Amino acid sequence: MNDLRARIAEIIARDRARHARAEGADSAGARGGSPRRASAPSAPVLSSLGHDAEARVASSEERTAAEKRPPAAAFEVREQRIALDDLGLEVVGRGACDALLLAHLGLKGEPPRDWTDILFLDTETTGLAGGTGTYVFLIGLAHIANGELVLRQHLLRDISAENEFVEHLKRELEPYRACASYNGKTFDIPLLRTRFVMAIRSELTVDESHLDLLHPARRLWKDRFGSTTLRQLEDSILDDGRVADIPGSCIPDAYFHYLRRGDEAIIAPVITHNARDVISLVRIADRVAGAVLDARTGNAPAHAPASFALARVFERTGELEAAFGCYESAYYDGDNELRVRLALPYARALERRGERDRAVQMLETLLALGLGSVRWREQVESRLRRLARRKAMKKAGPRADPAFANATA
Amino acid sequence: MTLERTFHIVLGLMRTSVRFPARTSLEQILDTLAADRDFQELVTRWERMPARPARYAAFPEWLEGRITAALRRRGINELYSHQAAALESTHAGRHTVVVTPTASGKTLCYNLPVLDAIAKDPSARALYIFPTKALSQDQLAELERESTDIDIELKTYTYDGDTPPAVRAAIRSAGHVVITNPDMLHTGILPHHTKWVKLFENLRFVVLDELHTYRGVFGSHVANVLRRLRRICEFYGSHPVFICTSATIANPEELARRHVEDDVVLIDESGAPRGEKVLVFVNPPVVNRNLGVRRSALLTGRDIAATLLASGVQTIAFARSRVETELLLTYLRSRFPQPQWPQDLIRGYRGGYLPSERRAIERGLRDGSVRGVVSTNALELGIDIGALQAAVLLGYPGTVASTWQQMGRAGRREDLSAAFLVATSSPIDQYVVQHPEYVLDRSPEAGLVNPDNLHVLVHHLKCAAFEIPFEQRERFGTEDTPGVLAYLDEQGVLHEAGGKYHWSDQAFPAETTSLRTATNDNVVIVDTTGPAPRTVGSEHHDGKAKVIGEIDRFAAQVLLHEQAIYLHESKQFQVERLDWDNAKAYVREVKVDYYTQAELAVRIRVIDEFDRRSASRGFDLAHGEVLVSTLTTIFKKLTMYTHENVGWGKIHLPEQELQTTSFWCSLPERVVAGWPRERIEIALAGLGNLLHGLAPLLLMCDPHDLGLAVEVRSPHTERPTIYLFDMTPGGIGFAERLFSSAPVLFDRAREHLASCGCQTGCPSCVGPAYALGAEVRESVAHLLSLA
Repeated sequence: MNDLRARIAEIIARDRARHARAEGADSAGARGGSPRRASAPSAPVLSSLGHDAEARVASSEERTAAEKRPPAAAFEVREQRIALDDLGLEVVGRGACDALLLAHLGLKGEPPRDWTDILFLDTETTGLAGGTGTYVFLIGLAHIANGELVLRQHLLRDISAENEFVEHLKRELEPYRACASYNGKTFDIPLLRTRFVMAIRSELTVDESHLDLLHPARRLWKDRFGSTTLRQLEDSILDDGRVADIPGSCIPDAYFHYLRRGDEAIIAPVITHNARDVISLVRIADRVAGAVLDARTGNAPAHAPASFALARVFERTGELEAAFGCYESAYYDGDNELRVRLALPYARALERRGERDRAVQMLETLLALGLGSVRWREQVESRLRRLARRKAMKKAGPRADPAFANATA
Repeated sequence: MTLERTFHIVLGLMRTSVRFPARTSLEQILDTLAADRDFQELVTRWERMPARPARYAAFPEWLEGRITAALRRRGINELYSHQAAALESTHAGRHTVVVTPTASGKTLCYNLPVLDAIAKDPSARALYIFPTKALSQDQLAELERESTDIDIELKTYTYDGDTPPAVRAAIRSAGHVVITNPDMLHTGILPHHTKWVKLFENLRFVVLDELHTYRGVFGSHVANVLRRLRRICEFYGSHPVFICTSATIANPEELARRHVEDDVVLIDESGAPRGEKVLVFVNPPVVNRNLGVRRSALLTGRDIAATLLASGVQTIAFARSRVETELLLTYLRSRFPQPQWPQDLIRGYRGGYLPSERRAIERGLRDGSVRGVVSTNALELGIDIGALQAAVLLGYPGTVASTWQQMGRAGRREDLSAAFLVATSSPIDQYVVQHPEYVLDRSPEAGLVNPDNLHVLVHHLKCAAFEIPFEQRERFGTEDTPGVLAYLDEQGVLHEAGGKYHWSDQAFPAETTSLRTATNDNVVIVDTTGPAPRTVGSEHHDGKAKVIGEIDRFAAQVLLHEQAIYLHESKQFQVERLDWDNAKAYVREVKVDYYTQAELAVRIRVIDEFDRRSASRGFDLAHGEVLVSTLTTIFKKLTMYTHENVGWGKIHLPEQELQTTSFWCSLPERVVAGWPRERIEIALAGLGNLLHGLAPLLLMCDPHDLGLAVEVRSPHTERPTIYLFDMTPGGIGFAERLFSSAPVLFDRAREHLASCGCQTGCPSCVGPAYALGAEVRESVAHLLSLA
């Protein structure tokens, strides 16, 4: 037996060494220190919300007591409620939520009728690779009720009780029509789906209607900030950067340690991190929604590429007036490269409004400046010819009657 | 019909007759050769294997009516007896292994049960595992043909590295038959089994084709992948029947049982008819009696192949290396100049050709437009090229099993076929050609695997734990499973909770383990020749570089060094620049009358000695970590045809290094005291050959998994030393195993040498005396008597 152990020890050690070599080559030491050494930051991260959120962090024993908890507390639920005002929310949770707006928020599938039908979620997992051996051990779920954001965090304390945990999550998820996440379409949801099959051989109920905020956030801010990680947006959009946050890469190991030692201090920073993620998710959703509403009322985003991106979505949702406003704004604020990109759709929008002369003038200006690729210039020239024909036709006939035009064509 | 069209048809007919002016039958050629005294002098054995008639059996009654109807429409009214046996056995739910020759209708043995199951229950699923992607493609086409005939809705897909992500989701839920390879199963399917619920819940059959390729280290890995597969099936409540097929090996049933880990029914009596077959062993004539030099096997083989081809006999020639393949192709093509002969008469086929090129050649062979093919052992596997009439083997392929496999490429059901084995002057070849019974009578090699090799097992146990948590009482191969699990728990790789071991590491374990030792790091060959510019302004002559092939790095240092003449489809290219860091070789087409041959030097350096002990009488045994370096330093230019050395050049390439584990044994100084250096060299080489030949039996591995090096004076031990090292980077434990069981190895070596019938040394013991030296056997025996 000892011989066997020694031999396995050798194999493991070699694996580790090989793995470390590969890692080292990849990240070139970008990740400081051993990932096993999870630091435990203790600074209260919610305090920067300008609201003493900790005071309300109740482990909500009273609420969960009603549910059948396993004797050893295989999992636990922590609940906190934060007033929407304290989160600075202006759109999300206020008034009705219209389908067109939700489309801007990345909704695929049937739209929910009310903000309260949407469940905001973020998971913490034992790895990033996916696959059946990656566990979801913590999920933060937030919904809106009575002017408050109700954040419920579900932590799997005993990994062998995953079945009950997932069964419980299923009950938590079921009432909601849609869920919202940050990159959940490719990360959180597939992982949850895997856990549902592994633990209770069941399908996930929420994934049909899903708002993945990553995509709208990219549209609005990618060009401006380079990256659109949640961390980046907290810094740049919410002006509320994180201090003393546990690095994502340390989270799996923190959890593994917690499993072994049962020491709450090890897992606390992960729970804080997750809470922070969910709250940021809600606030980012609010900012996206706000930008959309502003654009609808004629205040397109100040950043031209974002305007252009919004214009395209407005066109897709059929809000042509808003689309036009965004095109205009993007065209006047943008650089030439952006103008080339948006010239053709913008011209179409002008044409739709009967402003053919402006469209022609705009396109001719861009051509005269010698901008764009050969292919693009060919497209523009052909568009100009078409516009000229229409104009001629309009002049020839007493009325611009499309039926008449067709008859002569 | 227009006049022009008529003309073309007539021309076509004429061309056919021009193509084969003397449409002699194979029978006549063999008669001529048999009567040819000069040729008969070279023949060491002329073996005629009689024809065997077909044995038939009726369709089983339970077989789906639509299937039998479709078979009847295709003119198949009965099954061969082995097919019927396979159907009955799989129908009874028993794992089955079918071992019958090439072209005996093996695929029906598994396609029929699968089609039957799906026809009766559309939710039924099957998983086909082929060793290579090329074979998967082949099978996909075959299965689609069959299901269209039968008129059942069958969704068949290949799922491998080439499958576009967009269709993967559809395959996972809707594919009736999923065709894949062990590597994809290992990293792409099993760790994501929750995405394949439909497949695993309804899995009725698992087909393992070419079972004999799953041996040695690779086979040991595959056996563990299959353990994981069965675990997952268990999880979803399915119990698939395994259907394996294999080429002729000594122990198909045992090999299948080790992979399936259950009782297996062996079906090895082929009911397919076999035409008469002639096997000829040819030893090229001695051209220099003093040096014992024989005429090159390449030239002798070319003459035989050319004779066959000129008479319209569809022929395959097997060469042992890529360079030989290209040389033979060049030689043969020069015998059949255009325009008298069609351009595509003879094609080359080997690794390094692009897949599309290969598919075209396979098609050409099947429809008969390609009359001859020169191949490496790449065509040895079951790629469908139809049955050819004659095979010419340039050199002994290395194992009895491969020899039969290659000879089996020629052989039709009704007609006469012939296979020629032309020996090279290498010791092994000379032994085989002088003792043809070695091939004819000896049962082929056994396919050995050791799934419980701890190194391999632990890797897969980790993968298995990632897939589904382990129960405490569960066994994964070894009885030591609980010990391994407990250990992994202590190490933090697993976490024990509630009687189960859960994966508790961030890593994705399947990705850190490769099933194959071969690297995927290939050098791409870029042809920069480009057509000469003719007209200005045309778009297609911008000298665009074209990729003509790729070769792994190890071969690249020998074949693609700068100034090397690289042969591709018998065209000569000179390597102008080798960008080693970016794995690109830039070549330009040339016409020269020489080819190049690089010399490879192997060095070994001990990094760390793990353990050492003195065996009896001063023999030192040790194992540890070593660095094996291979370096190409110079190349020779050799003339085509005469192989004269007409020049040389230096090669500037970095050393290739393999860090691995090795076993070594060093001889005591006094044993060889007083021996001249040559005798020490001979004795070391001989003992090395003997140990290297026998070690795989002890390790149950493939001989290629183990490397051999000898040093008359090792810098590490300062004595004459023999190294046996693991060819897998990092080693998978052979060295340690050899270290601990060295006494057994030496005992076996002694016994084997004592019972060998040769006088002074032969390839089946220490190596041939005429190549090594007359005293080789006696010297080795002396060393062994002391060990």
